[in-house]
Amino acid sequence: MSDFLKLVGIKKSFGGVQALKGIELAVGQNEILCLVGENGSGKSTLIKIISGDLKPDSGELWISGRMYKQLRPIQSLNLGIRVIYQDFALFPNLTVAENIAYSQLVETQDRLVNWREIREIAARAVELVQADLDLNEVVGNLSVANQQMTAICRALTRDTRFLILDEPTSALTKKEIDRLLQVVRDLQAKGIAVMFVSHKLNEVLAIAERVAVLRDGELVATLDREEATNERLVELMSGTRVTYSRYEAKPSNEPPLLEVKDLSKRNCFQDISFSLRRGEILGITGLLGSGRTELALALFGIDPADRGQIVVDHQPIKIRTVKDAIKAGIGYVPEDRLTQGLVLKKSVGENIAAVIIDRLRGWLGLIDNRAWNAAVERWIDELAIRVTSPEVKAQTLSGGNQQRVVLAKWLASLPKILILDNATAGIDVAAKSGIHQIIRRMARQGIGIILISDEIPEVVNNCSRILIMRKGRIAAEVETADVTEAEVQQLVELTEPRGKGEGMVASSL
Amino acid sequence: MRRRSSNATLYLVLIIVLAIMAVLNPTRFLRVRNFYSMAYQLPFLAFLAMGQMVPIVGGGINLAIVATANFTGIITAMLLRALSGGSPLEASTLVILVSMLGGVLAALLAGALSGFLIGYLRVPDILATLGTMILLNGVNIVLTKGYTLTGFPDALIAIGNGVFLGIPIPFWLFLAIAVVFRMIMERSVFGYQLYMIGSSYTASRFAGINTRSVIMGSYLLSSLFAAITAFVMMGQLNSVKANYAESYLLVSVLACFLGGVDPLGGDGRVSGLVLAVMILQVISTGVNLMRMDPFFILAMWGFIVLVIIAANHLSGRFRLQRPLRGLGQDSGLADG
Amino acid sequence: MRKLLKQTEFYLALVILLLSILITMYNPRFLSAENIFDLLKSFSVMGIMAVGVLFVLILGGTPDVSFTAIAQVAEYVVVIMTLRWGGNILLAFLTASLIGGVLGRLNGCLVNMFRVPTIIITIATSNIFFGLLYVFSQGQVIYVIHPLFRRFSEIRIGNLVSQHGVYFGLSLMPLIWLVVLILGWFVLNYTRMGRDIYAIGGSELAAERVGIPVRRTKLFVFTFVGVLAGIAAVVHAAIVQSAIPNSLVGQELDVIAAVFLGGASVFGGAGTILGTFLGILLLAVVNNGLTLLGVSSYWYNIFVGAVIVISITISAVQRIRQKKTRVKVQVDSEGWRV
Repeated sequence: MSDFLKLVGIKKSFGGVQALKGIELAVGQNEILCLVGENGSGKSTLIKIISGDLKPDSGELWISGRMYKQLRPIQSLNLGIRVIYQDFALFPNLTVAENIAYSQLVETQDRLVNWREIREIAARAVELVQADLDLNEVVGNLSVANQQMTAICRALTRDTRFLILDEPTSALTKKEIDRLLQVVRDLQAKGIAVMFVSHKLNEVLAIAERVAVLRDGELVATLDREEATNERLVELMSGTRVTYSRYEAKPSNEPPLLEVKDLSKRNCFQDISFSLRRGEILGITGLLGSGRTELALALFGIDPADRGQIVVDHQPIKIRTVKDAIKAGIGYVPEDRLTQGLVLKKSVGENIAAVIIDRLRGWLGLIDNRAWNAAVERWIDELAIRVTSPEVKAQTLSGGNQQRVVLAKWLASLPKILILDNATAGIDVAAKSGIHQIIRRMARQGIGIILISDEIPEVVNNCSRILIMRKGRIAAEVETADVTEAEVQQLVELTEPRGKGEGMVASSL
Repeated sequence: MRRRSSNATLYLVLIIVLAIMAVLNPTRFLRVRNFYSMAYQLPFLAFLAMGQMVPIVGGGINLAIVATANFTGIITAMLLRALSGGSPLEASTLVILVSMLGGVLAALLAGALSGFLIGYLRVPDILATLGTMILLNGVNIVLTKGYTLTGFPDALIAIGNGVFLGIPIPFWLFLAIAVVFRMIMERSVFGYQLYMIGSSYTASRFAGINTRSVIMGSYLLSSLFAAITAFVMMGQLNSVKANYAESYLLVSVLACFLGGVDPLGGDGRVSGLVLAVMILQVISTGVNLMRMDPFFILAMWGFIVLVIIAANHLSGRFRLQRPLRGLGQDSGLADG
Repeated sequence: MRKLLKQTEFYLALVILLLSILITMYNPRFLSAENIFDLLKSFSVMGIMAVGVLFVLILGGTPDVSFTAIAQVAEYVVVIMTLRWGGNILLAFLTASLIGGVLGRLNGCLVNMFRVPTIIITIATSNIFFGLLYVFSQGQVIYVIHPLFRRFSEIRIGNLVSQHGVYFGLSLMPLIWLVVLILGWFVLNYTRMGRDIYAIGGSELAAERVGIPVRRTKLFVFTFVGVLAGIAAVVHAAIVQSAIPNSLVGQELDVIAAVFLGGASVFGGAGTILGTFLGILLLAVVNNGLTLLGVSSYWYNIFVGAVIVISITISAVQRIRQKKTRVKVQVDSEGWRV
């Protein structure tokens, strides 16, 4: 079997950091190769080099037997390489039909546009994956899943030889994922090579013929399907055998710190009720688009709920703005620390001071430098943030350190409740367990913590209870002492939302 | 507390520009009288530039700043005339103060309109202030019917034209306001929050900063500076008109760029801005001494803007990573 | 029908219709062919430039404000050239377009080179163009221009007689505007270039990934704006029969306002030729109506400003509402009470 793509000694560094340290990888002409690796392992850099978005510093790309030192994006497209990015790269202002047909339009180099042809191209692609898409709808109005389908359809319009799917399933339901995997197999049958990039190992194991594992810019292993097991892959990806220790919260009979009753927001979530005790770590999990982030944002006042009750310390409160939430003692650590969590251009100190700035007023209402320095230094120490000075810009920090700065910002405000929304995504294993230690320490100090995550082991091992959300409702609630990770995984993918008044543990188990 | 970039380049540029102008005007430039006239002219540009710096630091721009200044002048002049029974030259101090207060309120009203559109409705700053500008220009021309209003009491003239201890009153005003302005921008909570918002609107919102009121505040402050500019202008020209000083809109933006204020927001020092204003004043005075065509000066401002943009580009100063505007980024959570 | 109700063009047309009825009720002369021909003629300069502005605004980011300065330069140069060397109207159009194209392309190069908002760069270049024009022309008004402009402006289509016994007909100027509109419409809807412009306006990153030549497209758009400014310059010279170095500068904001009115978005990616035409038409009707109603033309400026502020407010509120109703999660909505 000849290879469609062969990478020889691909190296790439940014600034002083080596993102890829000499990658050797081959993909057969109609093979399904899975590429796994933690965030920051170099996956996206590698994809961008193949797609021509980045130039390698050195190394060779062999495509269908021809050697290239680097590719330009248009070259890569013409060679039949298609990438479906996590952010889809669609045009929100154009229709589904035009979005799907655009790649082909670019390829044909026609100066005029034939609208009937556009519709035909789009219709064919939609037919191919049997997607249920309205060709005339503007893409900006579509749901995330349909946007992804549009992106997939686009990739199939041209003479595709090699399809790269970058985390393609993060927004899809189980049914949609199954269909996607079927589509991928069909494509393989048509002689298209596929590289499936994912961190969800169960999907990887379901579809891969070979699995390549990337860690810290190096290809640490290439396993055949038979050799690959979940445990083996996790070990290879992290470089260490991950042993999660379960967090045992001391049982308390205290009245709840936070009570949420029938909280609903149109098109986001419905009839959410739960409670959180002091010192408890409550897990919330579910697929992307299950409403978990929307729930968190409602509690934090970014997108307030339409109706329902929120009670903090026996006080019914209204949360209409972020200020209301902060006043009630609620903090929020977002998944997207780069745009939501941190002001990257500003220093670590300025970021830490953001929430407590009003308490740092001194003479004439001006900022009291001494109070500022004391607060900033205290929290840098407390969270062991590794910086040479508080004046270092936040953008220069590593992912783990950055997330510690976000935590410091909230802890400085002495919150009662802290919501962490996928806060450890994109952080390496060591830094991740560091963050887990901090979370546990905070819980022991009496802060109520809501830990939202799509990593099942993370919630199972850190939380005492887990809420599983699906389609905007709480589908199940489990005590972690009673379940295994696999059972929770099943619940996430399979459970139907529980009806009102149904029991605690989902009956579908 | 917070580290700030150095102004070394700006000092160097100022010295070079001074030297060039001294060489080009060997007999006239290095005279006390010339420096006196610079001290007399500089505050006008300085106040306008400060008023422009505030919204730019917050990630916006105020295209309506000159229109607001003219609006203030016209309202003040009309109030003076109305309250003094048609003889503004003999207006009492109280009437003058009330008229000026009216002018300031008019400016704040204009600022509130921009601030509301931008801070509360999230209309892009350029569009919002463009709308305010066109509206104000229309109001100005209807109020004046295209005429020049002239004849102001001495006390008002003194703001732009008077002398105290041998130094022009506007320059005293400039010194005092620059100190206060620096405290607001670099030491106050408002200033801190403005720089944060200018650096990242979304992250600031997620940190509980009241973005709406800070942005509103920034346009109010900007308009307040427009009002101060208007009073200086009234004193120096002894007249108001619907469309005075329109070309100074560019110069105000130019001063900010030159002073190291990041056009994308979030960065820039008051001291840098002051140095930039001094540089521009030296150039302007020097070129005037050479009897250059005023339109040549206009072209020159445009050219200097491009040079600064190019210089900053080459030094990589304002270069940011390309903003991601794809669908994946637009989770729809940032606004609303 | 529901789609129609969502479109800016529909409301604009409605407003224009209502205004026209109101004005006609006070002064029936409004609806006379003579008045309408006149109105179209006098707004054809703005109308032609507006098409260029539309292209820039679809591309995304901030408006180009230098096109009036470009037109000014082209007008002055062409008027002087024809005075000195003669020529014909076609040559005048060609030269003006060429000058406009070169200056516009310069803008395009600068925009491609630096990551600074278009408005900043074009404020700078417009100062340079305008300032240098004034320096070289010394601000001189040319009252007597080559007769070829007069001959061109007097060409009429149709020969009608007004109530006062004056012969009139449809001037060529609105027809040139119409041709530009059709050209713009065709380019935007039926050429790759046009779709690329919309695509870049929608998402520049996605455009690059799909292989659209982003920089080349931008260069084209700014050159196109310049070319249209050149065409508008000749039309302007023919209408006013003189070359005044500051007769066009200052109109750029009105043109931009009209294009925004017509549904262009500051976020880019949106806007149509029909909307742009209606936006200009609205300004024309208001301007004309105020005159016919005997109201000071100064009110026109207030009106334009007010309409801009109101329309951006409405569209901002709509966007906020839309965001609220956007489906984020496919909620299992059994039992949902609205």
